[in-house]
Amino acid sequence: MKTERLTRIVWVNRVLLSHYRRHPLQAIFLLLGLTLGVALWSAVELINGHARTSYADAEQFLGADAHFWIRPTGENAAVSQQDYIRLRRLGFVELYPIIEARLQTREQDWLILLATDFMALPIADAQNNSSETATPFVGDALAFMTPPFQTAVPESLASELGINPGDQLTLTNGQRLPPATLQSRPQQGERLVVDMAAAFEVLNRDNFDYLGVTKLSASREQALRQALPEGLILTRNQQSLDLQELTDSLHIQLAAMGWLAFVVGLFIVFNAVRFSLWMRQATLTTLREMGIGLDDLALAIALEALFWSVLGTLLGGGLGFLLGNLLLPTVSSSLGSLYGAIITPTVTLTARHLLQAAIMTLLGVTVAVAGPIWLSARRSIRQQQHQTLDQQFQPRQLGVQSLSAVALLGLAALYYFQIDSVSDGFVLLALVLFGSALSLPPLLYGAFWLAARSMPASWWRLRWAMRDAFAQLPHLRIAMMALLLALVANLGVSTLVGSFRIAFTDWLTVRMSADVYVQSATLDADALLTQAPLKVQASHARTGLNLRWQDRPTEIRGVNTQAPDMRSLPLALSEPNALSQWAEQGHLRPILANEQVHHLAGVNLGESVSLPTDTGTVDFQVVGFFHDYGNPYYAFYLPKATVSQYWKNAQPMGLAIWLQDTNLQAFEPDLLDAGAEPGDWIDQRQLMSVALQIFERTFAITGALNTLTLGVAGVALFAALMSIHQQRLHQYAHWRALGVNQQEWLLIVGGPLAGMVMVTGLLAIPLGAVLSALLIADINIIAFGWSMPLNWSWHPVANLAILTTLTLILTGLTALWRVQRQLPNALIRLGGTA
Amino acid sequence: MLRFTHLSKGYAQPDGFLPVLNDVSGEVARGESVALLGESGSGKSTLLHLVAGLDVPDHGTMLLNDISLTDASAQTWNRLRREHISLVFQDFHLIPTLNVDDNLKLQARLAGQLDLDFCNQLIERLGLTGLLHGLPGELSGGQQQRVAIARSLAHRPTLVLADEPTGNLDEQTAQDVMTLLIDCVRAANSSLLMVTHSPAMAAYLDRRWHLKAGELHED
Ligand SMILES: Nc1ncnc2c1ncn2[C@@H]1O[C@H](COP(=O)(O)OP(=O)(O)OP(=O)(O)O)[C@@H](O)[C@H]1O
Ligand SMILES: [Mg+2]
Repeated sequence: MKTERLTRIVWVNRVLLSHYRRHPLQAIFLLLGLTLGVALWSAVELINGHARTSYADAEQFLGADAHFWIRPTGENAAVSQQDYIRLRRLGFVELYPIIEARLQTREQDWLILLATDFMALPIADAQNNSSETATPFVGDALAFMTPPFQTAVPESLASELGINPGDQLTLTNGQRLPPATLQSRPQQGERLVVDMAAAFEVLNRDNFDYLGVTKLSASREQALRQALPEGLILTRNQQSLDLQELTDSLHIQLAAMGWLAFVVGLFIVFNAVRFSLWMRQATLTTLREMGIGLDDLALAIALEALFWSVLGTLLGGGLGFLLGNLLLPTVSSSLGSLYGAIITPTVTLTARHLLQAAIMTLLGVTVAVAGPIWLSARRSIRQQQHQTLDQQFQPRQLGVQSLSAVALLGLAALYYFQIDSVSDGFVLLALVLFGSALSLPPLLYGAFWLAARSMPASWWRLRWAMRDAFAQLPHLRIAMMALLLALVANLGVSTLVGSFRIAFTDWLTVRMSADVYVQSATLDADALLTQAPLKVQASHARTGLNLRWQDRPTEIRGVNTQAPDMRSLPLALSEPNALSQWAEQGHLRPILANEQVHHLAGVNLGESVSLPTDTGTVDFQVVGFFHDYGNPYYAFYLPKATVSQYWKNAQPMGLAIWLQDTNLQAFEPDLLDAGAEPGDWIDQRQLMSVALQIFERTFAITGALNTLTLGVAGVALFAALMSIHQQRLHQYAHWRALGVNQQEWLLIVGGPLAGMVMVTGLLAIPLGAVLSALLIADINIIAFGWSMPLNWSWHPVANLAILTTLTLILTGLTALWRVQRQLPNALIRLGGTA
Repeated sequence: MLRFTHLSKGYAQPDGFLPVLNDVSGEVARGESVALLGESGSGKSTLLHLVAGLDVPDHGTMLLNDISLTDASAQTWNRLRREHISLVFQDFHLIPTLNVDDNLKLQARLAGQLDLDFCNQLIERLGLTGLLHGLPGELSGGQQQRVAIARSLAHRPTLVLADEPTGNLDEQTAQDVMTLLIDCVRAANSSLLMVTHSPAMAAYLDRRWHLKAGELHED
């Protein structure tokens, strides 16, 4: 019995698959749809992964990745190896040692040498867990860390100094640096990098200048403070780029896009499978007449679906992999070059990834297959025999669709006021997207109905075209929905990325508007400013303290209201003249707060906040909220004088300096003279350009992704068109026999198509805007408490319009060409069988 | 072998209930061939479909080989259609994407009863030898119907039900196909119940039934 059924199923499958042998083009389209759908989704996933790596990459920038410093307190003191090793033995693996020295070569060039313990650098995160077992140091890296060692010299510096690979720089004291290797790694800046052991030898010392500390939780921070030996203090790095939240935010947004790509993929798969089943309707009925039960048929179809999903997943996964490696110009290299480590490529085809893709395609295929099987289960075979192949548009189906669309959108509108978690937000997005997709066919129907009615009778060709739309609509419906979602995804991604780029650039610009940022225990700031008045254009010394407010870490900053970075502080929300009110400090004690205070603590403009001060709680009136992307804490800005009035323990928080000319190198001796030590200052121009470079790479990839999305929708459309024309060939032959010429045919058949694409495109614009607005203005605030300005641009819309039109013309012309080729044959048959 | 008693069937139509078959009874013995005649709309196809299990009667009982088919499960009907009851249609119902050879062996393969010798015998008798590797779409109507006949008989079913099998063919071809059908049905030792409009065709068969006003008469 079992084997009997098995052979039967095998035969049914052979019958079903014979369809593709005779119609290879359909197999190709089905597979193409599946493959591209999976590849598209994979690409989004890859970008997501890449974005995370990029952020981590930016964070790893030496000097910027440290959230804290451990510095010696005394003059000319250092951190001993014993102290470092003891702390690491205590489990503080967040620490890494840094030696930063200013050296002069025999040729009188000043250089900064940077050394660290590469084994201790916290890069494990960025590598994911893929290379946990393998050592990240192989090949050259080994040479880097073992005698005779190597000096990593930035290429620009090498050409400036005339250094070739293998050369050894000689210092004024006669010491020679290890042989040079040239590496272009933006993070390194103009500094020489050597391994710690090499630095000990060259500098003839056995201690470190300071220790860097990566991110610490509040409790870890406390524990580390307590474990610190006498003579070392832990200070917060005011300039650390805390990109974690920004990363998470972009990640959520891209995850939403990934799901959207997933849905587009589902639609395409659905379309392809539905169509192939529908083409085989007669065969299915014949099989049932021959005693194949619905259960056997369903099993056979499920097997076929499985076959396609597996094939599509493998091909799509492979394509995604190729694409990923093509698009992401070796992420690992930037990390690798920084630390001399070779890191396994981040873009890998994981089993989990493939499994997800398989589930996606299988889901699409199953949903597509379930409908027709369920329908035939309800109908007798006899009813099926009488089903005409030329399905007409069913008003009932249209009604059901309109009602569901209205219901979903109505639900979305109600739900909008209820959302208070990220998953709620995603449900809302799903409601909006599906509701809109469902509303598309009724909208198209309505549009054509109106157009046909409003046309004078003498325009018979156009009227015919409008009527023809109704014949095309049932077949193009799903493809149009896929196109709509693809366009929405496209616009959404463009808007998101654009907004992120602006938010990120703004954030960096505000935070890093100064040229140099000095954080030094030994610097005499007044001496520096009086000593080099011609070099310094402006400076800003902040004070501040951290306290807890509303049960959250809160930053209070005392600022100079007239400093360049404060005079034009961009505010998200503000009262009129907020900045001048705040600078003047009237009796209401105006204060500026970050957006998080508004969104998370629920404080509105004009309301008061009660902050704990030395003399008890004091009320301040919030006159403005500033953007503070990615800050997980509450933050308040007050004039410096006000801060010192209420908080005696406010500490200096570093000195930002704007230089007359941006040549930092010329200013460095002044810094040293005023008491700063090498490593106390950060070149902000360079930091910013590196960070921006890294992000630009991520943004560039989304461009490629966008094109791909549209390509997928284009293929879906193309496949649908091909199949429609295949079926209607007979009808076209009739028309031709009636004397319809080629131009008329093009108008009648192509006109409705162009109209449909246009309506779809127009609907996609507001939908794309709504989607990005929901993501940026609602979901992001719920998740993180800060918003970004929504950067709506017509540029991607125009690009999309051009691309879509090109796709349309291309598919239209190909369809025309095929029909023209097959029409003579169809005309011959017209006489034969009909 | 096949016996149906007191079968009734009607359809709900926009202008009320339409009784099609009204308490009809009949019997076909093994190896016997019966023609079913009647005007258009008299219910010939309906009766055939009831017997094939493609539709369900409102009342009445059916027996095939002394097995009751009243209230038979879908599974039973599927099995019967695979192994014991074959259908031949006016429009052939061949699988357009399988070649002739695969088409004519399909039913026997699905039934798990492929007898290659008998198949070859049928191929020869029906003159299909040179056509085996073509697709149905490349054949004439008469040739297609001969393939359909071969398919319906390859597994030697108990009963062949044919609904105007020559309706789409010109007179000469129809006659040739009819002769072949009867010939092959005899070779397979199957029974035949065939709907036809043509008394001439009906004359080839053992018995003739007439459907009129929902009632069945034999002459
Ligand atoms: N599924 C159905 N629903 C409603 N009425 C039906 C259905 N099938 C058949 N009928 C009606 O039942 C009657 C008998 O139909 P049937 O097809 O059996 O006639 P027939 O004798 O085979 O006619 P013909 O010689 O034209 O094929 C017809 O009036 C037909 O309209
Ligand atoms: Mg009939």
